Amino acid sequence: MNATMPLMDESMPPEVLALLNSADGTAFEQALDTMVRQREQHLFRALGVLARDLHGAVSRLGSDLANEGMPDSMADARNHLAEVLEMSSKAAHRSLDFVDRMRPEAEALSANAAAVLDFNSSETDPAAVLARQAQVFAAACGEGLNDMVLVQSWQDLAGQRVKKVVGFIESVESSLMELVRLTGALAGREAPVEVAKVSSQDEVDRLLSEFGF
Amino acid sequence: MKILVVDDFSTMRRIVRNLLVELGFSNPLIQEADDGNNALTMLRASAFDMVVTDWNMPNMTGIELLQAIRAEPKLKGLPVLMVTAENNREQIIAAAQAGVNGYIVKPFTAVTLKEKLDKIFERLAASGASA
Repeated sequence: MNATMPLMDESMPPEVLALLNSADGTAFEQALDTMVRQREQHLFRALGVLARDLHGAVSRLGSDLANEGMPDSMADARNHLAEVLEMSSKAAHRSLDFVDRMRPEAEALSANAAAVLDFNSSETDPAAVLARQAQVFAAACGEGLNDMVLVQSWQDLAGQRVKKVVGFIESVESSLMELVRLTGALAGREAPVEVAKVSSQDEVDRLLSEFGF
Repeated sequence: MKILVVDDFSTMRRIVRNLLVELGFSNPLIQEADDGNNALTMLRASAFDMVVTDWNMPNMTGIELLQAIRAEPKLKGLPVLMVTAENNREQIIAAAQAGVNGYIVKPFTAVTLKEKLDKIFERLAASGASA
């Protein structure tokens, strides 16, 4: 830096301007360091406030949901999702029970109709006509039951989606906590040991308080 | 024909069993396992003719089961059909590279299941004839 060159930047603090224009290199560097550190501290404090606000917003959201009779913690949410899986599985099994019950009925109807037709295959006799209609009906039932079995596979697909959502919630939670840990470390406070997973609200609050948020 | 159906969802095991019976396979010869580990134990304990497995399961996944089957001299020739919701390119390629015999994406129809099974048996018959 050429000290003889006039510095015109009015936005600089006067003490920095004075130092820039002085010949004392060490004092200048120290002043610059202090200034940078002060600015960093401001930034990290702002980040901390942001994280704190975010945490507050998440907590409020949690209690709002609780007031609506909704889950108010991650553990609750996971339990609710497990219940969804259980209920949909029960419903699917009951449908499959129904299929197991009805399939032999349809097969028996078809066999009985065939026996009637063996005895009387007239085109006009009402008994033979009804027997043919029964066979058509039994065949349609068989197809319908097959479709019903296949439709139940959506339970499995829905269940897999639910499991993925649970995994996603867990990863968001741990990313958020990692962010808190990093901002805390940047703010100059000692970072806590590796945060693997924070599961309860108490742990979340404790971790946040470690950083003064 | 002795078939092992592997899926962590009991509904899906029941659906696959139901469809196999509908396609003419014997119900008492169909057995079930809820993950790859249990499946492997059952496959080692007695002889099966085919495995129908899901991909996404706890403990041991379907692809790991397939790799384990292909790595074991006693089991490596066993036909394996994957019936899974995993339908991205990489996974299908991984299954093919691991030596899968057929791959069905859920949800599927009985017609699709029949087609894939027929194809597996055709290929097996062809390779058996040429050997």
